[in-house]
Amino acid sequence: MPFLEFKDVEYSYVSGEDELTKALNKVSFAVERGEFIALVGCNGSGKSTLARLANGLITPDSGQVLVDGMPTTDKSALFDIRKKIGIVFQNPDNQMVTTIVEDDVAFGPENLGLPQDEIRARVDWALKSVGMQDYATSGPFRLSGGQKQRVAIAGVLAIKPELMILDEATGMLDPMGRREVLDVVKKLNRDENMAVIMITHFMEEAAAADRIIVLNGGAKQADGGKELFDTPEVFESAGLDLPLYVRLSRRLKGIGADIGCPLSSDEFARAVANLKGEGEE
Amino acid sequence: MRDVSMGQYYPASSVVHRADPRIKLVILILYLVTVFFCNSFFSYAFMTVFVLITILLSRVPILKVLKSLRLILFILLFTTVLMMIFYVDEGSAPLAEWGIFHIYLNGIYAAIKLGWRLMLLVMMPTVLTLTSTPTELCDGLESLLSPLKVLHLPVHELALIMSIALRLIPTLIEETDKIINAQKARGAAFDSRNPFKKIKAMIPVLIPLFVSSFRRADELADAMDSRCYRGAKGRTRMKKLKAKAGDFIGLLFWCVITVCILFLNYNWFGWAFITMLSI
Amino acid sequence: MIEVKHLSFVYSPKTPFTTQALFDINLKIETGDFFGIIGSTGAGKSTLVSHFNALTKIQKNSGTVIVEDMDLSAKKVDLNKLRAKVGMVFQYPEHQLFADTVLADVMFGPKNIGLSGAEAEERAKRAIELVGLNYGEIAERSPFELSGGQKRRVALAGVIAMQPEILVLDEPTAGLDPRGKRDIMELVLRIKESCPTVIMISHNMDEIAEYCNKIAVLKHGRVMGVFSPRELFGSEELLNSCGVELPLVTEIAVKLNELGVNVDRSVLTEDELFEQLKKAVKDA
Repeated sequence: MPFLEFKDVEYSYVSGEDELTKALNKVSFAVERGEFIALVGCNGSGKSTLARLANGLITPDSGQVLVDGMPTTDKSALFDIRKKIGIVFQNPDNQMVTTIVEDDVAFGPENLGLPQDEIRARVDWALKSVGMQDYATSGPFRLSGGQKQRVAIAGVLAIKPELMILDEATGMLDPMGRREVLDVVKKLNRDENMAVIMITHFMEEAAAADRIIVLNGGAKQADGGKELFDTPEVFESAGLDLPLYVRLSRRLKGIGADIGCPLSSDEFARAVANLKGEGEE
Repeated sequence: MRDVSMGQYYPASSVVHRADPRIKLVILILYLVTVFFCNSFFSYAFMTVFVLITILLSRVPILKVLKSLRLILFILLFTTVLMMIFYVDEGSAPLAEWGIFHIYLNGIYAAIKLGWRLMLLVMMPTVLTLTSTPTELCDGLESLLSPLKVLHLPVHELALIMSIALRLIPTLIEETDKIINAQKARGAAFDSRNPFKKIKAMIPVLIPLFVSSFRRADELADAMDSRCYRGAKGRTRMKKLKAKAGDFIGLLFWCVITVCILFLNYNWFGWAFITMLSI
Repeated sequence: MIEVKHLSFVYSPKTPFTTQALFDINLKIETGDFFGIIGSTGAGKSTLVSHFNALTKIQKNSGTVIVEDMDLSAKKVDLNKLRAKVGMVFQYPEHQLFADTVLADVMFGPKNIGLSGAEAEERAKRAIELVGLNYGEIAERSPFELSGGQKRRVALAGVIAMQPEILVLDEPTAGLDPRGKRDIMELVLRIKESCPTVIMISHNMDEIAEYCNKIAVLKHGRVMGVFSPRELFGSEELLNSCGVELPLVTEIAVKLNELGVNVDRSVLTEDELFEQLKKAVKDA
């Protein structure tokens, strides 16, 4: 049984006067434990709706969302579902409940009703995992955007979910903040075997994932591994850019220089250097 | 920008800072009630001495506490002057008289006592807010009010609302600033002296502020739900308030002071020296 | 033209919370420039540009800013004139929309600077069309029911309708998806045809490299220098000493050089880099 399963999920919301906008149209996919997935699509493609469906903040109009076999429509299961799936949202200022970092991280475990020393241990561990242990007693106002998002991640982490969804969690950050967050997420996926769904439209971030799901206009357009970059049409038609190194390698291929499909600027440079080396031999 | 969420907290390491916020709140209530029983100069002086001792113990500069009096200076002067000129003492001749205004000796005494009482009433709450963070006060209040849960009073929710408000006020202040600047850049003028124009000028600030506050509230609610929040039910706390022996000694001490004041006031046993002190 | 001379600025002066945000800033922004201002969060970028239309008052003995013929350190500055001249678009400008209709919102600025209703409406109409929205369809709709991208355009129109000669943009593409980013930058180029001077704060080095002709680097409230993009991104020492992120194009060029592939490292666009790559590969 997959850990998270979307089965023909449809969802519409009211926009304007009596207008219904379909946010998701027959979306199906499954997520296994430990996976690192990037969910990409342009604004309005239904990405955030999908995140909110996953832990039952909203429920599908038709179809089913199952978490560990439990449907999100079952109100009595919601608490258990949210223990298993945590979400980090976009705006770092709108997810902190208290004025002190460690109190905020404790909010989740407190809701779980854990004993005092267990909460303490989890808070310390979570803050350490995101590298924010030195800021435990400071207020959120002295933190940068990237640091605030790391605190938000720690707040979710302290619940020890099996899947963490980052809903454009890097969208409001500067490049340095984005890198901080991405590094932390990668580490959690690797060291804690926590499944991650990274919702983003930064294709460089998507290239870091093992699997990519492309949403376009509320429908799933593609779902696959890095081989998706070989068919750039799926991204372009969804209003997304390929990462620069992928675009360049495709143009090089067009003039007869095949360097494969590098997925970082390092890989790209190495591939070009290799090609050049071979040519010179 | 000064962090508004910290209120006027004055960080220092002192017994008053370290004391359990619940005990501090109880002492404050006890104190306020006691002040109302003070009726003689001696009892006011007696209370003042203990307020000063508390301030000394708290290691907060006394000027900080006195500054809070500035806020009530107008009320202080206004009420004392009124008391002085309208006080009527049938039993003695007025010291001075202008039309309907009279000044009696007892009127001067009453006015001084009134002013003194007001000062005492303001100083101690100031000491409390200088020595406790808003979060501590919230937690303390929640804990103190928790017996009211039996009456289905949403004590936990109230405390949470206070805590979130403290968290969001600085953010909203910052946001207001941004919106005002943006509208100023579009030529909006906020410096009109005409009050109607002034209110009208605030609309382009208030509407975006409301819109964003609702958006924030929605997002915060989602974030809290996602972190397994389901009200007070089954919730535990990482930081539990623990009253130490010292806290109870402090409480006991203030109880003794209250009893002393009651004695001064009522003189149940008719002791002569108390009669002497009650001017 | 904007000239900044010896400008300093201190937050909360004479309190324990004093912090100096700007130190002796000297800059000259000429008519026709697409002027980039970069630097990490807290470097003083926003404080600096907020001086350009007197949202932040110049403090005593802290230098001056001259906009065309207006000295902003003077006792009396004609704010209406200044704010009509210098348009300012803040981060997430869609958060300032407030009126019942798009038209009324866009007319807010022109009306504030004393234009008649008819004139303001005419300008609003032109601005809405300039930002690529359909006037007939959108003018009477509520700005709050538009999509994110549309809202940002309406907010931009609200500034454009004042017909500024200098436009200051603070992170105009923040939070948008790739297509939205490109659309907004193209729009800025279109606006620049009628508003010759554009000043842009951005963290996005790809955009800075592609669009700006001059770049000022701010660090801890000081100007590290004003450079052409090729000067700045082509020089490793400059980038290091200024603590500037590399645009992805430059990053790849630098990495190629490290691995012995010779490409010009001052390339600024994808096409330029591709031409260089073509040459390098052909040589082999």
